[in-house]
Amino acid sequence: MRLDLTEDQQAFQEAVNRFIATEVPLLTVRDLYENRLGFEPEWWQQAAQLGWTSLFVPEAYGGGSLSGSQTCDAVILAEEIGRGLAPGPFCPVNLVAAGVGASSNAAQHAELLGRLVSGEVIAVWAFAEKAGRWTTDAVQATLTPVGPAQGGLATQSAQGGHQNGGSFVLNGTKHYVEAANAASHALVTARAENGGLSQVMVALDSPGVSVKGGRSVDMTRRFGTISFTDVAVDASALVGTAGDATEAVNRQLQLAVSLQCAEMVGIADRTLEFTLEYGQDRYAFGRPIVSFQALKHRIADMAQWLEACKAVSDELASVLDAQTQDASNVSNSEAQRLAHVAKSYVGEKTTRIVEDCVQITGGIGVTWEHDIHMYNRRVVLDRALYGSPEEHKDELYMLLDSTVENIENITVGTVGAA
Amino acid sequence: MSASKLPESIADFSSRATEWISANLPSTDDPPQNPIELQRCLFDNGFAGIAFPAEYGGAGLTLEHQKVFYDLAREMGRQVPTGTGLMVSVGMLGPTLLEHGSHEAKAKFLPRLLRGDDLWIQLLSEPRGGSDMAGARTRLTRDGDSYVLSGSKMWSTGAHVSHYGLCLARTDWEAPKHRGLSMIAVPLDTGTEGLVVQQTRTADGTLGEFCEEFFDDVALPAENLIGEENTGWSVAQTLLFHERNAAANVGFGYTGWEQSSSRRAGYEPGRLEDLIRTARARGTDGDSSVRQLIADVHIDNTVVPLTSDRIMLGMSLGTHQGQWGSLLKLQYSEGAVERVRAALAVSGAEGVIWDDDEVELDNPGTSWLLIRGGTLAGGSSEMQRNIISERLLGLPREPSVERGIPFNEVIRNQKSPE
Repeated sequence: MRLDLTEDQQAFQEAVNRFIATEVPLLTVRDLYENRLGFEPEWWQQAAQLGWTSLFVPEAYGGGSLSGSQTCDAVILAEEIGRGLAPGPFCPVNLVAAGVGASSNAAQHAELLGRLVSGEVIAVWAFAEKAGRWTTDAVQATLTPVGPAQGGLATQSAQGGHQNGGSFVLNGTKHYVEAANAASHALVTARAENGGLSQVMVALDSPGVSVKGGRSVDMTRRFGTISFTDVAVDASALVGTAGDATEAVNRQLQLAVSLQCAEMVGIADRTLEFTLEYGQDRYAFGRPIVSFQALKHRIADMAQWLEACKAVSDELASVLDAQTQDASNVSNSEAQRLAHVAKSYVGEKTTRIVEDCVQITGGIGVTWEHDIHMYNRRVVLDRALYGSPEEHKDELYMLLDSTVENIENITVGTVGAA
Repeated sequence: MSASKLPESIADFSSRATEWISANLPSTDDPPQNPIELQRCLFDNGFAGIAFPAEYGGAGLTLEHQKVFYDLAREMGRQVPTGTGLMVSVGMLGPTLLEHGSHEAKAKFLPRLLRGDDLWIQLLSEPRGGSDMAGARTRLTRDGDSYVLSGSKMWSTGAHVSHYGLCLARTDWEAPKHRGLSMIAVPLDTGTEGLVVQQTRTADGTLGEFCEEFFDDVALPAENLIGEENTGWSVAQTLLFHERNAAANVGFGYTGWEQSSSRRAGYEPGRLEDLIRTARARGTDGDSSVRQLIADVHIDNTVVPLTSDRIMLGMSLGTHQGQWGSLLKLQYSEGAVERVRAALAVSGAEGVIWDDDEVELDNPGTSWLLIRGGTLAGGSSEMQRNIISERLLGLPREPSVERGIPFNEVIRNQKSPE
């Protein structure tokens, strides 16, 4: 979260912090471990009233951001969620809201957006498949036109907004779908006939849809697998234009990484904070354990990584907002590059910080009684979801590689480095 | 500047600077201009020492104005005066003289320093010890209207081409070690009687920038003393503070970031491109471990300036107070080691072996020999970690066996048999 928050943003941060501390303290998070959904729907509606669902929804549909910089607003919330390990489908709901809100035919989904904002319904994003890769080339589910509008005419039909049912058929299986069990709708990303991507909003009680619930290493985040077998999808369900959603999907992925990085920053910040308090009070050999240089030097490294994590996480949020406000300002590859850098760095360092804090906490750090395992759970889930640091680095390399031309007769011995 | 006069607004300054830079500074595509001449040009036009008071030759503005000036010049693709000599003089010694010098000393030294006429260096470390700087044994003795200096200093960068050195020496041997030190300005001209300056041959076999100085009863005027007698440690603390800032490219030493390594300029540095080309040339660019290493270099190149920007913003907002330069210095210098490590890994045998007709000192193998200089100079990484953990995070200080003991006695204890 940025250092130079506006007064509105500061008030929002304080309100979120208080709300989490009073309504879902860590003791409640522990209780929710046994809860099938991982959160109470009534509580989610309370959170929605505080603005947890509205930041990416245009004002015309009942939403609105605090400062006009919606991602910067949302990362304030995401960091607090990380600090308090708040439950609830924050990420999936906001990704859907952002995807639909930014689409060319948002008005067509106005009713659903309104109900998302109020917290009355939950819609989730169904993107990844069995391989667990969050890149556009990994999408194999298909959305195929049927009926009178065949082949290349499908796009035309979608733009025309045919309402008379059964324009497309959806097939495929989506894995690692957060809050699948709690959702009534899913925004499904599928491959179009032209090889591009399409996104459709599908009611999960439609014929041919089956949802299989699942858990994760996190205390409260539940996941699921959703199968679509010959599901009839009306053209009115399209979000954006059929076969032309790749850029929108990439933005949703970048936003996912941004919210997630902010959450990981909150997790690492809070974990380091309580570990230092503990280490000041815990004595060994007649001294507080954090007076030993062996620990002080590890802690100094953690402080350095954390500061850098905050810097890169904030920059990503700012760049995504700049891109939304003026697409000509920031190229998509620049946002993409920064998203890879952020997830690689923040994913790696925050996991390491929490891991080191477990070590400093000592034996009690691996018990159920101590809270640190709950932070370790969330951060290690985040590390993998939406792509691991290793996967993002591979993607980053390919992006960099595509910008470097070959030079004949390179002299390897002259590679400078310092 | 009178107290009632407000500094020029950032917006006004920015447009004035833009106009001047555009009309006067050479493009980075032009042949590189001598940094001293560039500095003189800035000085003569009121853009040198932007945050120094006007009465001592500065522009009487703030560090924020300085950052605006250099960021503008970099964004406009113009040359700015850089290099170790100016960075040390203007970024480190200048602000130290400003804080501790008498009015006479400042009027005498600062204008020539800011104009680039006199290059200044620090004379702190001794052959006997670098990290334990307060253990200095160079002797400074009052003799009527002057002082007499004897002893030796080491690791002073650029002494052989500089005009003044600020030297830490012991004036009271009965006081505890931090309380018997004084700081004095020593002319480094070859004409100074009793002074010998020798370049130190570094591990790569060259006579580099490091020097060693020998003082054999060098007579110095009393007005060269900077700060009161026996307050030299506090002057040294100021100097070290500015050294870490300058090493991290923040504060008075800020000269902007090369556009090539800036996050905004797209993909950077020639060096990263060389790594990619080298991997291609060796056929290892499909190897995931090589790709991850190269991606890590790019990630570091992106994260370091972002962290610096964040901390500079925090310093101006007041959210970051104290020795944050230590954190940046640790990050920057340790990152540099990792870059060379990656270059060694990517280039293999070609990085450490060359034919007679391609002798090239700037290869990964030779860089490797000196790269640890960065994590030692200006306070080792271990000292930075002490500072971060103790001063920024408030962890307990290291226990001391010397506190409150006269320095004479400390030395005697070291000499006594085990």
